[in-house]
Amino acid sequence: MNTGRERLILLTPGTFWLMVFFLAPLFVLFIYSFWVVENYRIVVDPGLRNYTKIISGEIYYGVAIRTIRIALVVTVLSLLISYPVAYYLARKVRRFRFTLLMLIIMPLWISFLVRTFAWALVLGRNGVINQALQGIGLTDEPLEWLLYSEFAVTIALIHIYMPFMVLPIYAVLERFDGTLLEAARDMGASKLRAFLTVTLPLSMPGVIAGTIFVFVPAIGAYVTPELIGGTDGMMFGNLIAQQFGATFEYPFGSALTVAMIAFVATIISIGLRYGRLGRT
Amino acid sequence: MRNSLFIRLALGIWFWLVVLFLFTPLFVVVLFSFNTTEISVLPMRGYTLDWYAKLFQNDQVGDALFNSLIVAVMTVMIAVPLGVAFAVGIARRRGALSKVLLAFAAAPMIMPRLIIGVGLLTMIDTIGLRLSLWTVLIGHTLIGIPYVVLIVNARLASFDHSLEEAARDLGAGFTTVLWTVTLPLLRPAIIGASLIAFTESFDDPVISFFTIGVENTLPILLWGLLRHGITPEVNALASVTLLISILTALAAEVVLRLNK
Repeated sequence: MNTGRERLILLTPGTFWLMVFFLAPLFVLFIYSFWVVENYRIVVDPGLRNYTKIISGEIYYGVAIRTIRIALVVTVLSLLISYPVAYYLARKVRRFRFTLLMLIIMPLWISFLVRTFAWALVLGRNGVINQALQGIGLTDEPLEWLLYSEFAVTIALIHIYMPFMVLPIYAVLERFDGTLLEAARDMGASKLRAFLTVTLPLSMPGVIAGTIFVFVPAIGAYVTPELIGGTDGMMFGNLIAQQFGATFEYPFGSALTVAMIAFVATIISIGLRYGRLGRT
Repeated sequence: MRNSLFIRLALGIWFWLVVLFLFTPLFVVVLFSFNTTEISVLPMRGYTLDWYAKLFQNDQVGDALFNSLIVAVMTVMIAVPLGVAFAVGIARRRGALSKVLLAFAAAPMIMPRLIIGVGLLTMIDTIGLRLSLWTVLIGHTLIGIPYVVLIVNARLASFDHSLEEAARDLGAGFTTVLWTVTLPLLRPAIIGASLIAFTESFDDPVISFFTIGVENTLPILLWGLLRHGITPEVNALASVTLLISILTALAAEVVLRLNK
């Protein structure tokens, strides 16, 4: 019933706000990525130097590879951990379903700064795990690689983003039409076969959504590697943040950011296309 | 039959192991905040509330908490009207354009916050503005708006538009319908979205880190303290923020669920 003019009044403020404070800054970064810094001053001399620097620099390459590796491991492990959880909640429980679901959602509300630093207490040199291992005599000395490492970042990111994998899979499985499964069973399919040929393919949209919800923030992670990654767990986000901090390399930092956005956008568009195919 | 019972049992055990994985680290934080010793090491020597007392006497903490609350409330005051209007605007006539607009409003949610932060910082620097709590506020509205739009949009999808039409037929104008029919019906969704926008702002360290001036917010203060090492005071501060976010979000969930 809303007329065109009324819709315009409703949509304009929000659109304007997002254009000015969300899109415009991204555009500014894009422009900066072609400039350079000389003697601590930004010089407007457009070129592709920042991009060639990224491609030729081995450090950036190494950090990019590690970032993708961490994000992949986090996503795959989150999926393996989450699928049975979502399946259990959606198909196996009736009473208390909402309460049990809350247990998975609740950690999402807690600041990820707190959730990251909690792992420092668990994985640290004198942390809970090391003390337990020494206590039962499995190790004589604390395991040093538990904290300030790629391992620490990986486990903390799984902890932080895993609920984002459970939710979309749960949503798909909950709305799932049980008659298809019954049909498969009636035709003589075993439970396992019915799961693999009916349930699993039908839950793919949820799996793909969850994969995007976990993979993308993992690629852009910054606080977690900063706090518990050390040098071994440094990620692309830390590299970007450095350019905007002490080193004052906005143009180079902008180029790194553009590279990250391009990568993330590619992943999302692949995911969306794949997700649509899965639905038809 | 025995087989399916086994599967159910195995899935149940797996579920509780995952819950254990999610909550143990948080439990450790809260536990150590009551520890009598300075270092966060097991076994617990004794229990005390001294660290909380110390926390409440600390002016820095008080200032940061105040700043965080102000910014979070103002985030709600900006993100909610903009987001609700936007969602109502795209509600009717669900065509391709509505889908594009919805994706546009949801985009800041999937964009890594680091990128939102450095983007704002660069633009603010370019214009020559000073970094302050105001610039933090702008950043936080960007994470609030997508939540508001998505929640209200979801509510509008199952919305009975005939009430609005009836009001129109009886001669009510656009604003009258909006204020007396649409918004009251959306109230639970709006309250829920407000609380979520509040926690998202209250808990954010990343956008704040890049857009903040000389003041502190609670996450920024906590982050600063963490760099100097983990003390029971840090554990206590983390436990306090944990409690505030849980209570706010619990309220949001209850409001959203009860009125479904």
